[in-house]
Amino acid sequence: MSTPAIKLDGLTKDYAVGFWRPRPYRALDQVSLEVASGEVLGYLGPNGAGKTTTLKLLMQLIYPTAGTAEILGRPAGDVGARRRLGYLPELPYFYDNLSAEELLVYFGGLFSLSAADARRRAATLLDRVGLGAARHQRLRRYSKGMLQRVGIAQALINDPEVVFFDEPMSGLDPVGRRDTRELIRQLGAEGRTVFFSSHILSDAEALCSRVAIMAQGKLIATGRIADLAFEVLGWELVVSGGSLDGMRALGLDEATREVDGRLVIELTIDQPPERVLPELARQGAQVVALTPRHESLEDYFMRVVSQPGDAD
Amino acid sequence: MAVITRIAVHVFKESIRDKVLYNLVLFAVLLMGALYLIGQLTAGQDVKVIKDLGLAATQIFGLFIAVFVGIGLVSKEVERRSIYSLLSKPIRRHELILGKYAGLVLALAVNVAVMAVALYLVLGYMSLIESEEFKATWVRPAADPAMLFALFLVFVQLALVTAIALFFSTFSSPSLSAVLTFSLYVVGHFNADLRNFESVVDSSVAVYLARALYYVLPNLAPFDVKAAVVHGEPVSLGYVAMTTWYGAAYVAALLLAAVFIFARRDFK
Amino acid sequence: MNRPWWVRPVAVTVALTALVVVFVTTSVVRDRTYAASAAETELLYVPSGEIVERMALSFDSLVADIYWIRVIQYYGGTKRSESVEKNYDLLGPLLDITTTLDPGFKAAYRFGAIFLTESYPNGPGRPDLAVALLEKGIDAMPDRWEYYMDIGFIYYWWLQDYETAGSWFERAAEVPGASWWLRSLAANTLAAGGSLESSRMLWQQVYDSADNNWIRTEAARRLTQLRALDDINQLIALAVRFNRQAGRPPRGWDELIQAGLLARLPLDPTGLPYVLDVENGAMNVSPESELYPLPGESLPPLSQ
Repeated sequence: MSTPAIKLDGLTKDYAVGFWRPRPYRALDQVSLEVASGEVLGYLGPNGAGKTTTLKLLMQLIYPTAGTAEILGRPAGDVGARRRLGYLPELPYFYDNLSAEELLVYFGGLFSLSAADARRRAATLLDRVGLGAARHQRLRRYSKGMLQRVGIAQALINDPEVVFFDEPMSGLDPVGRRDTRELIRQLGAEGRTVFFSSHILSDAEALCSRVAIMAQGKLIATGRIADLAFEVLGWELVVSGGSLDGMRALGLDEATREVDGRLVIELTIDQPPERVLPELARQGAQVVALTPRHESLEDYFMRVVSQPGDAD
Repeated sequence: MAVITRIAVHVFKESIRDKVLYNLVLFAVLLMGALYLIGQLTAGQDVKVIKDLGLAATQIFGLFIAVFVGIGLVSKEVERRSIYSLLSKPIRRHELILGKYAGLVLALAVNVAVMAVALYLVLGYMSLIESEEFKATWVRPAADPAMLFALFLVFVQLALVTAIALFFSTFSSPSLSAVLTFSLYVVGHFNADLRNFESVVDSSVAVYLARALYYVLPNLAPFDVKAAVVHGEPVSLGYVAMTTWYGAAYVAALLLAAVFIFARRDFK
Repeated sequence: MNRPWWVRPVAVTVALTALVVVFVTTSVVRDRTYAASAAETELLYVPSGEIVERMALSFDSLVADIYWIRVIQYYGGTKRSESVEKNYDLLGPLLDITTTLDPGFKAAYRFGAIFLTESYPNGPGRPDLAVALLEKGIDAMPDRWEYYMDIGFIYYWWLQDYETAGSWFERAAEVPGASWWLRSLAANTLAAGGSLESSRMLWQQVYDSADNNWIRTEAARRLTQLRALDDINQLIALAVRFNRQAGRPPRGWDELIQAGLLARLPLDPTGLPYVLDVENGAMNVSPESELYPLPGESLPPLSQ
């Protein structure tokens, strides 16, 4: 069996909290996990579960209290390993006085890229994340969403084998979120290993072969989403070409709202889509998107932690 | 080494574009120009006044640059978290510290040079327009090359202050680092008086403590040869060399400590 | 990392210590080689109190203290130094700066005046500067009668200007709260200034009213010097009698002893024998005596 791209073994991190009599606070408790090369892993959990802590330990921004973390067979923090990885921190912030292109060229230089190579890659990447037009503007003028995209671009400047994204969707509008999902899918398709964290389950839904669920510093479950018993609470159905009157006929007018010329219908668990869809088709409506609404991760934990749930 | 150079160049670029620094230097250059006008008001003493104020302004503006940009190097970056992405690149933590220091010292050198050129231009102008008899009263020529000694030592002193700012910012917040650096600067100027403690204090414990503090705390007053240069007193090359060597050793110690602290730090 | 955990901290500590040793040694060597310390150079740079005051921002009092420490170090260091030419030139400016920064700095006025008046080589011997300093003190604190008295004292003792001295003592007596004996001192000075009696009275008052050891010791020394002068007056009287008897001045104490005028070798109050200069008949304390030189002997040399 080949070396896993990422390996966590009994990784533990304690912080000392309080000034006068510091008490240890266990941010991460004996987390063990392997991610195979080429996998796209969703590292999920509510806020405060220890996701960012895990990523920081992998980047060696902080040091573990116990246990090890390995990337591409080398210990976290190894300079050679860092040549082959990319990292997007949560809520990224860079240098006010540089432009996006200059930032990427600077970082590229740290990977020993020549200035010309770095500039070429920078241009490509910035186009890819949709910042081509703004690439000469100083970063001080960038919105949060733009900074997020720059963050993604700088994570890819060295054409990494393994990519770490910490909450890549935060700060993005729905279009941005969709674009980012698409990007992650592409990265996975290119054969890279992607490890990204999120507190929103649906972010991971379509992308991940596997997810790992964290809560209160512990790894609760890993597996395919389908295998983990997430409760479905209903569906969100987006159609075009329908009308409110038509919805009223189905008794769904209360659950419908109009967004940008489309109708968004919230179906409950007792209203399975297969019953509604034929009727809509007869009305001439077309399905744009059908997304299951899961319980929130918080609710999942409440459920699973109180009873022994699936563990991997 | 290559990494350190790249980081240094980046820091230099960032610093030069920093609005605060930019404005400070601009103001200093304007002040040099205004000095000429001020000099007209103090009949006879104008050259000395211009030299005094010009050298002092270089030092003070340089001090502000050294402290505020110096603290931004690490403290502000940690606070704003821009350091996360930098540290995930294939660089070692000590390369980051050294690169940042080198970049800022470079920026400082350029700033001191700019202010020095402005000062010399003003003084050179004075040399051109004043009458020969008046010029005969000057102890030293207006555009006196000996001032370069004073300016060089000012630069070395600022490099030392920058190292102090960098050292503090590896473990404390930006505001605390600024306060500590300024305090140490003030203390460093009155350091020499610690040595004279024995004239006024009886307790030998206090005297030894004062002596020890005198030697360990940075002694900044000897870097100040402005008065000697303006009065035409000779500044020996040996003095400059030894004082620079002192500065270099002190900077090395500070950087070593900074690297050590920075290397083991958790970035929460 | 396979090294044991303690290697790195130890290595760093060793390196740090080495660097500290380097810069401390450099500091020591530099200070020793280049004696013109920053303090003196700085003084040339700020010869005026006003400039320092502006630079000291709101820390006037603290900076005044620092300058006061420098006054003491400068005065003491120069006084104790081995060099032939002692230069007290900076004492005046230093005191000026100190008192400009903190006009209420009482010790600076009084001690400063004392330092300034001490005759060379124990001081610069500048009673004029001392008077100016005390007058500055009076400007700042007009109710300090001690300063008036100190000025009168300088005119009396160092400048031998008894009229001016007396008028200053009178002015001191006018100040509310002044000691009761100032008026009689003023009268005495005007009447018999220069006499041993008035001098003795003056120094006795200083001794009695002294509020610290330094001044009291100094007053005691002066009183002892006056006793020596008394002794010398008596010895001179004996010499005159010898001259009348023998037709010539005595050539040594033993002659006076043999002539029965003197019981034994005359000793000054510190126990050292008085000296008789055979050539001109002058009598004085021995140069090795603590009381040397006696007042009224050498005029303080004015600095160039």
